Amino acid sequence: MKKFSGSFAVTALVAAMSVSGVSQANVTDKDILQDQKTVEDVVSNGLGPRGQRYSPLDKINTDTVKDMRPVWSFSFGGEKQRGQESQPMVKDGVMYVTASYSRVFAVDTKTGEELWEYNARLPDGIMPCCDVINRGVALYDDLVIFGTLDAKLVALDAKTGKVKWKKTVADYKEGYSITAAPMIVNGKVITGVSGGEFGIVGKAEAYDAKTGKILWTRPTVEGHMGYIWKDGKKVENGISGGKAGQTWPGDLWKSGGAATWLGGTYDPDTNSLFIGTGNPAPWNSHMRPGDNLFSSSRLAIDPDTGKIKWHFQTTPHDGWDYDGVNELIAFDYQEGGKTVKAAATADRNGFMYVLNRTNGDFIRGFPFVDEISWAKGLDKKGRPIYNEEMRPGNPSASEDGKKGSSVHAVPAFLGGKNWMPMAYSQDTELFYVPSNEWGMDIWNEPTAYKKGAAYLGAGFTIKPLTEDHIGVLRAMDPKTGKEVWRYQNFSPLWGGVLTTAGNLVFIGTPEGYLKGFDAKTGEVKYQFNTGSGIVGSPITWEQDGEQFISVVSGWGGAVPLWGGEVAKRIKHLNQGGSVWTFKLPKS
Amino acid sequence: MRLLVLLAVLTLGWTGTAQARYYDDVIASGVIYIGAYKNFPPYSFEVDGKPQGVDIEIGHRIAEAFGLKMKVHWITPDENLEDDLRNNVWKGHYLDKDEANPLAAKHLADVMMRVPYDREYAFKRDDQGLLINEQVVLFGPYQRERWQVAFDSEKLERVGTVAVFQYHPIGVEIDSLPDFYLTSAFGGQMRKNTHHFFSNSEAFAAMQAGKVDAVMGMRAEVDWQIGQAGDPRYKLAENGFPSMGKQQWDIGMAVSQRYRQLGNEVDVVVERLIRNGEIEKIYSSYNLRYELPGLYQDVAQ
Repeated sequence: MKKFSGSFAVTALVAAMSVSGVSQANVTDKDILQDQKTVEDVVSNGLGPRGQRYSPLDKINTDTVKDMRPVWSFSFGGEKQRGQESQPMVKDGVMYVTASYSRVFAVDTKTGEELWEYNARLPDGIMPCCDVINRGVALYDDLVIFGTLDAKLVALDAKTGKVKWKKTVADYKEGYSITAAPMIVNGKVITGVSGGEFGIVGKAEAYDAKTGKILWTRPTVEGHMGYIWKDGKKVENGISGGKAGQTWPGDLWKSGGAATWLGGTYDPDTNSLFIGTGNPAPWNSHMRPGDNLFSSSRLAIDPDTGKIKWHFQTTPHDGWDYDGVNELIAFDYQEGGKTVKAAATADRNGFMYVLNRTNGDFIRGFPFVDEISWAKGLDKKGRPIYNEEMRPGNPSASEDGKKGSSVHAVPAFLGGKNWMPMAYSQDTELFYVPSNEWGMDIWNEPTAYKKGAAYLGAGFTIKPLTEDHIGVLRAMDPKTGKEVWRYQNFSPLWGGVLTTAGNLVFIGTPEGYLKGFDAKTGEVKYQFNTGSGIVGSPITWEQDGEQFISVVSGWGGAVPLWGGEVAKRIKHLNQGGSVWTFKLPKS
Repeated sequence: MRLLVLLAVLTLGWTGTAQARYYDDVIASGVIYIGAYKNFPPYSFEVDGKPQGVDIEIGHRIAEAFGLKMKVHWITPDENLEDDLRNNVWKGHYLDKDEANPLAAKHLADVMMRVPYDREYAFKRDDQGLLINEQVVLFGPYQRERWQVAFDSEKLERVGTVAVFQYHPIGVEIDSLPDFYLTSAFGGQMRKNTHHFFSNSEAFAAMQAGKVDAVMGMRAEVDWQIGQAGDPRYKLAENGFPSMGKQQWDIGMAVSQRYRQLGNEVDVVVERLIRNGEIEKIYSSYNLRYELPGLYQDVAQ
C-alpha cells in the first residue's frame, strides 16, 4: 500500500498515458450517445445513455462462452471492503472503476495493473444510509467524474487521478450523500442525491462537466422552487408541480423525501432524462394523506432547462417504502405496423410498467414477481388498486403503548427489484429482470428510542417466500407481460444484468458466480466463482479484436444490513473487493 | 478479543484511540471516554469548543470519582438507539477507519450517557427469539424524562388541552414522537398545524420569530429553551397528551456487555450522586426541572 498524504491520496503512474500503446482521446458527447454501437469502449452507465445494457458483440456467444476464462483480477485492497456495486468504464485501454468508501481506480485493461487511485477523504460523523457503496463514474473530455458519500461531485484528471474540480451538491450534515453514477448529457453532468429519513428533499441537478459550474436544480417534491443559472445568475425556474400543498398535508412537503438516489437514464430520441424518486417522508403513510408527489415516481426532465415534462407515479401515497427509483429504459417495438416509442421499468412494488416515453402515458403493467399482496392490480391508468388491509398501521393505533398489529406485505421493502439494473436485448426483444421473492412483516414498534427520546419505530422483518430461492432472473416480454424463462437463485439477486448479441445474458450472484445464460432459453451456459458475492454490473468491450467481459466482485449493499430470516441465507457469504476480467483464449 | 486488542497495542504502540475497555484498563489508562450526543442542549453540547450540558457534568463526576480524566466521545445520532449502541458502545462505526493504522481499534465510548433505562427494551427479542440488545448492559437510571409544550402567551392564553392545536400552529422536531402524535392522533385534526424543524431549538426560534404559537419537545429541552429565552412571554403548558403511547421514560447509561464490571462501578457512583442531591443540583444549574427515575420513586429513599 502506498503512503497517503494530504487531504486525498493519489498514486499516479505517468505511464498511464501510453497504456498498451493505445493513445488516449478525450470522451465526447458523440462517444456517449453512440456508446451502444461503439464496442471498443464503455463510456456510459448502462452501455449507452438509454441504459439497455445490450452489446452488439458476439464473439463470446452460446457456443464459445464455455471456453471463457479470467485474464486478470484486480484487488481494491485495504480494509475498506463492503459492497462493490460499481459498473466499470473503459476508454482507450484504461478501466475506470469505483469501490466502496468513495474510491476510484484506473486500471490497465490488458494487464490489470493499477495506474492511479483516488480516495475521497470523508468527514467524521457522516451517516450514509444503506452501506458505503458507489455505483461508478462518468467520463467526459479528459475527466473522470463521480459522487461521494459526503454528497460532493469530484472530477479527476483521467491521466493522473488528480482533482480538477469539486462541487458540493448537498450538505452531508443534513443527511445527504451520493452513491449513483453521474450521467453526462450534452456536456452536462446530471446527478441526484441520496438520503435517509432525516427530512431531506430529493433533487436532480446539472453541472457544466468541464468546469463544475451549476446550471440548474430541480427539486422532486411538489412545492419547491427550481432554479436555472443564466450568465452566472440564479433565476427562478418554476415550482415543481406548480404550487405547494396539493398532494401533501400541512408543511410535510418541506421535508418530503423523494430522493433521487439512483440517478437515471437519458433518451436522446425525446431529449428526456428519466429520473426515479424514492419514498415519501415520513415513512408512515397515515401521517401524510394524499398522493405525495413526486415521490415513488419516474420523472421525464428536460436536460436543457431542468423542467419536468411528465411524471408517472408507481406507488401514490406509498406506505411500504417502495422507492420509485428503478431505471426506466427507452426501447421501441412494433405493433400493428407502427413503431411504439416505449420505456419500461420494473418497480420495487412488484409491477413492471411499459410507458409511452413521449408523454408518460401508461401502456400496460403486469407483475414480474410471483406474489403481490399490497395491491390487487393496476387500473387503466396504471394506478394501483390497493389492498388496504396490507397498509402498515396508523401510529395512533399504537397509542396504548402496545405493539401495533402486524401486516405481511409482499414484496418486502427491498423490492421485487431493487437498484440492480435490468437489460433489454434488441435481438430477443425481452427484458432480463433481476428480481427477488420476499415479503415483510411490518408493525409499529412503541418500544423504541431515538436520541434519548421515546420514539415509535417501524418494526419489520424480511422473510423469504420459499425454501429454495429468493432471487429470480426473469426474461419478460414487454409486449405481453409474459415470463419467457426464469433462473432461480438461493440468495437474493443484487447485481446488474448484461445481454449481448452472442445470445447471452450475464449476471453475478451473491454466492460469487458470474453466470451466463442462453438469452432465448435461460439455459446456464457459463459460470465462474469470483471469490466474493457479486453486486456490481458486468460490461463487455472489444480490444485488439478480442471481446472482454468485466465484473466487480465484493459482497455487501443493503441486503446484509437487514436481519430476519433472510440473514440466515446470506451470513456465510464473504466480503471482498476486486475486478475480474474475462476473455476467450486465443486460438 | 482482548488478546487481539493487546496485540494491536503492542505492535503499533498506544495510539490514543479509545476502544471500550475493561474496568482495570480504564483505571490504568487514567482516562475515561464518556459517550454523549453531539450538539444536543441541554444534555451535551459545546460552547467555544468546551463540552457542556448535564450529561457532560455527570460524566465529569464519574471520572472524578475514579480519579480519572474525562474525554468526550461525541455521538452523531443514527436512525435509532440500536444503531447508536452498535456504533458507539460495542462494535464501532463502519466508517471509523484509520488509513495510516488499519489495525487500530475503533473509537468507542467506555460509558454512553442518555440511554433509556427500560426493561422491556433491554430484553426485546427479534422474530427468531434472540435478544436484540444482548451486546450491551443498560444500567444506572439517573433522570425521568417526559414531553412538554411551551407556548407564546401573546398568541395563546393557555394550553389546557392539545385540542388548541387544531387552530394554532405548533413546531416539532422532524421524525420524533411529538411529530407522529401531532400528525396522526385524533384522526389527524392537528396535522395541518404541525410545523417541522430539524431540532427543538429551531422550533423554539420559529416561535420567537412568530411563525408558530407553541413547541413540543422533551421537558429538559423545553425548560432549557425557556431559560435561554429569558422572556416571560414564553410559558410552560399544563396540558396532558391523551392517547399518546409513551409519556414518560427513564434515562440511564450503557456499557458493552464485556465490560459489565465497569458498569457496576459507575452504577455505584451515580446512585450516590442521585442520593446526595448532586444530580439535581446539576439540573438546576441549567435551569431544568429534575425528576427522579422510577427506580428511586418506587423505593423509599
